[in-house]
Parts: sequence; C-alpha cells; structure tokens
Amino acid sequence: MSNTVVKCEKVEKTYQKDSVPVYALRGVDFEVNAGDFVSLSGPSGSGKSTLLNVIGGLDRPDSGEVTVDGVALSGLSESELTELRLRKMGFVFQAYNLIPVLSAQENVEFILQLQGVPQAERRERAEAALESLGLADMSHRQPGELSGGQQQRVAIARSIVSNPVLLLADEPTANLDSGTTEDLLGLLRRLNEQENMTIVTATHDPIVMSYTKRQVHLRDGAIERDALAA
Amino acid sequence: MSFKLVWQLSIRNILRHRRRNLMLFAAIAVAVTGVSSMNTLIRGMQYGMMDTAVENMTGHIKIHAPGYRDDPNIQKGFALDEDFEPPVPAEDMLGWAARIRIPAVIMSERETRGVQIVGVDPSAEAISFIGDVPIEGDGLESTDDGRILIGRELAIQLETEVGRRIVVITQGIDGRNREKGYRIVGTYDAEGTALEKMYVFTGLSSLQGLLDSEDVTEVSIRLVDEPKRLTFKQLLVGFFSELAVMDWLELEPMAAAMFIFADSVIYIWFALMMSALTFGLINTLITSVMERVKELGMVRALGMPKRMVLIQVVVESTIIMAVGVVIGLIGGYLVFLTIEDGINLGAFAEGMEMAGIASVLVPVLRWDDFILVAWLSLLLGILASLYPAWRAVKVQPLEAMRR
Repeated sequence: MSNTVVKCEKVEKTYQKDSVPVYALRGVDFEVNAGDFVSLSGPSGSGKSTLLNVIGGLDRPDSGEVTVDGVALSGLSESELTELRLRKMGFVFQAYNLIPVLSAQENVEFILQLQGVPQAERRERAEAALESLGLADMSHRQPGELSGGQQQRVAIARSIVSNPVLLLADEPTANLDSGTTEDLLGLLRRLNEQENMTIVTATHDPIVMSYTKRQVHLRDGAIERDALAA
Repeated sequence: MSFKLVWQLSIRNILRHRRRNLMLFAAIAVAVTGVSSMNTLIRGMQYGMMDTAVENMTGHIKIHAPGYRDDPNIQKGFALDEDFEPPVPAEDMLGWAARIRIPAVIMSERETRGVQIVGVDPSAEAISFIGDVPIEGDGLESTDDGRILIGRELAIQLETEVGRRIVVITQGIDGRNREKGYRIVGTYDAEGTALEKMYVFTGLSSLQGLLDSEDVTEVSIRLVDEPKRLTFKQLLVGFFSELAVMDWLELEPMAAAMFIFADSVIYIWFALMMSALTFGLINTLITSVMERVKELGMVRALGMPKRMVLIQVVVESTIIMAVGVVIGLIGGYLVFLTIEDGINLGAFAEGMEMAGIASVLVPVLRWDDFILVAWLSLLLGILASLYPAWRAVKVQPLEAMRR
C-alpha cells in the first residue's frame, strides 16, 4: 500500500484579474508522503496558497488531478469535498478562525460534533488535545479572552483532535510574535515526529521553513526547488 | 447532523447581538400583541353581530311557510300540533318559540305607525331579545295576554305611555282587516331604537283569536352550539318537508356577510402587521449573515455541510420569532384581561346599531386564533429566513475567508 497522502499531477490553475489571466499554478507535479512535514514557500503570487487550497479541496484546479489519501478530488461533488475535508483533513488558518461564540473546548469539539462523535468521547478527546497543547486551564475561555498564540494553539487542537490524515496550515504564524512562533512550530514538529502527522504549510517565513523536513519553493506557479532540509 | 450543535450555534449567535435581537423581540412581541388583541375585538364584534342577529327574533334556525318572507301575513302560517316539540335533542337546544309575526298599523290618539305585531308565548321568549330587556311597566304574562308591549321609542313617537290605549289594525286569515284596541302593559328598552320602533308584542293565543286562526308564522330555535346549526338544519328540513327551514346566515344576509368578512379581516390584519415585521426580520438576518460571512466560510472549510448552515439560519430566525410570539401572545392575553368586561362604545351607538353591533364591545378570546397567530408567525419566521439562509449557503469558503 502506497504511503502517498497527497499527489498532484499536472495541476493548473488560472485566475482572471481585470480580464487578464493570472497563472497561479502551471502544471504542478507534487507528492506528499505520510509523515512528511512540508513547507510551501515562495514570493507573493507564487502559487503556494493556491496549491494548499487545491490540496485542501477549497479550490478546484482548471486541469490536472489532485489525490488525497487515494481519493481523486476532481470526481467529488461540493458536498463530497466538504465531507472529505471533515474526515481526512485538519486546517489551521492564518487568522486563527475560531468560532467566536464557542469556548476553546467547544471549538475543539466542533469538528467531532460534525463527525457525530458521542458527547462523552468528544469531551474526553477535546480535553486531551487541549491538555497536550498546554491549554487545559483555558478550555472554558471564549476566543476573545485568549491571546493570539493561545488562539492558534486552540486552532491546532481543533485541527488534530479528529486524527486527520493531513494537516494543512496556511501561514499559521503570520500573526504571531517570534517567541510564540517558535513555540507553535515546536508543537507542529512534535506532532509530526511523535504522532507521525503529515503536515503541509504555506509560509514565507524562514523560521517556519527551518522547522520543516522538506522545503518546496514555488515561483510563478511552478515548483522551483523541492529539497529535504539539511 | 448534530442538531445540538445547530441549536447551540443558533442560540449563541442570537445572544451575540443582544441589543439588536432584543429590539427585534420587542417589535415582534408588539406586533403579535396588537394582532392577537385586535383578533379578540374582531371576534367580539363578529360574535356580537351574530348574537344581535340571532336574538333579533331570528334564532339559529327558523321555520316558516314557503312565501312568508316575501309576503308575511297569517295566510302564510302553518299549524303546529298541541304537543309539538322540535326534533332537536334538549341538551343541544337553548329553547324554541312559536310566534305569529305580521305587519300591522298602530295608532295612538295622535300618531300612526307601521309596525310588526308579534304574538308570543312570553315563557318561551328567553331565546330572543324581548326575554331580557328592561321594561317600564309590566311584561306580558301568558299566551292569552290581550295587552300589548311596545318599544320605548315607539311610545315616544306615538306620544303615548304605559297604561294608555292604542289601536292595532292588521289582516286576518280571511284577508279582511282586524282592528283591536290594546292597553299598553309596558314599554321595553332594547339595544338600539330600531327594534323598539319595529316590534310590538302581545300574547300568541290572543293574536290568534284576533286573526281567527290557529296557525303560527314561525318557529324559532336557539341552539347551544352555533356551529351545529347545519346538522340540525338538515334534521329539521327532513322533519318539516313542506316548510322552509333556514339558518340565521340565510335569514340575516348582511349580518352573515359581516360575520364571514370578520374572518377575512383577521387574516388581512395579520398579513399586514406581520408582513411589515417579516421584512424587518429578513433585514436583521441578512445583516447577521453578512457579518458572519468569514466565519461561515471557515466552518464550511472545516467540513460543515451546506444544509447545516441553512438549518442554522432557519433555526435562528424561528427562535427569534418564537420568543417574540410567546411574549406577544402573553401581551395579547393581558390586554384581553384588561378589556374582558367590554369596551363601551355608547358614543357610537347609532352607527354600531346600524351595523348590528352592540354598544358594548365584549372581546372574545378564541384559543384557536392564538394558536393560528403562533403557527402563522412561526411559518413567517421560517419563510423570512429562507433568503438569508440561501445567502449563507452561497458563501464560498475560500472567497469568504479571503475577506
């Protein structure tokens, strides 16, 4: 059985901006294996976020095929893509994106509730996830009562609580100070090394890249460099 | 799908904008209070019209000879057996009365008026207005009573009074005029002057004697439950196959039209009040959705199905409407309690009388009206949420999160 979690074949994506085509991805071939910790980097407009969104099923390529955990995304309807994201992926966004009306624990439980996990199990898993990220004392706080770093930790707890096949993080440290960034990256590294979590993160931050095992650099919608970390 | 999650998110989102939603609750509550209070008044007016029509010598069902209504005279009468009883179960009937009602001319020493002389059995007339009106002087005592009871207004017009004599001329069974002098036993004070000017009463047997006939011209039946009139009308049609059996709606077409119109007014009033409110609710929900576009995009990205987003907005709207409706119905009930004894419309008595409405408007609370308002409001709440919910569902995760 293949250990390929993500496979992109000749993925192309073009946007129209003021009637002018912008080539976000130009025939990208790219694979992520189980246990990888990959950074997608590149200058603004290089296509790193687009590639991340295409892998996450949030955007559809114009051509080519994306396969996640053996499932070809092109054949899926919108609702099937939603279900796939729910069951197989975890997301961490730049702006934390917690649900403001739910407490930290409820935010973590949110994914499990969508998955239909029974309440007792849900609570247990959410508490464990928060505890593993050092947030046990914050579980009943609303997002507005947490610092940026704490909110992003809650977002990570939410993304990993359902044991996804793939964790996608879009500029996860962009709004954090350097100390908190280091803490958070250490956390992602621990998840990758200890839990064998497959992580793909889009970033332009060299610190983030330094924590990943594999660094993929994009320019003008194409992969310019794909290298294992030294 | 987790309904608990939907419920939790809906409640929290409502609580998130407390002030805005409190205003909305208040607006809904005021509208529902207005609608439900107005319904009790419309029902009161409607039932008042019905009672007036029914008590105005009509009853719920009346039997007379064919052609009587076109040319009311004793020749269009019919005979009743001495031991006649209507074939309606006693527990369904408030009472019944046999009468002669025919046109007559009444003369005092000074004035002459056209009236209807009504021969009654006073003991049976509890079913009509004459059974409980205030009387100056005495009432009739029996079916053999040969005195006459006239309306107060008629007495004024005839410039006569209790104890004086008047003369009545009417047509007997042979078509010839009959004339009789009566002593005024009393004057009655009816609700409005139209009845007082129209009807004079004497004993049924006494009038039959004057007309040389054993017949009556009508049998009037008052039921316990008005809605059962159709059932018993059918029964009576079979029983009096040679006679005309009509219910009060047929006998009093204007009152019937007003009665039916009142039902429509309730719906029109509801539609007007609640439609205006619905637009407010739609506006608030759209605002609420547009404020949360990024959040909705995020939850969709995380895996929340579209139908759950849709249901969440619908549930939010329904909760807002339900809370407003409950407060509004309580308000409507409290308003009803404060006006339960009736609103005196004496100042408009003449106009009210013309419309067949009593001068004291007594509101009528029908729980089915309250339930109808509740259900229709909730239905409107759901309908109002559909467009905002559609807007929420159309949110594309990626576009929303880029905002």
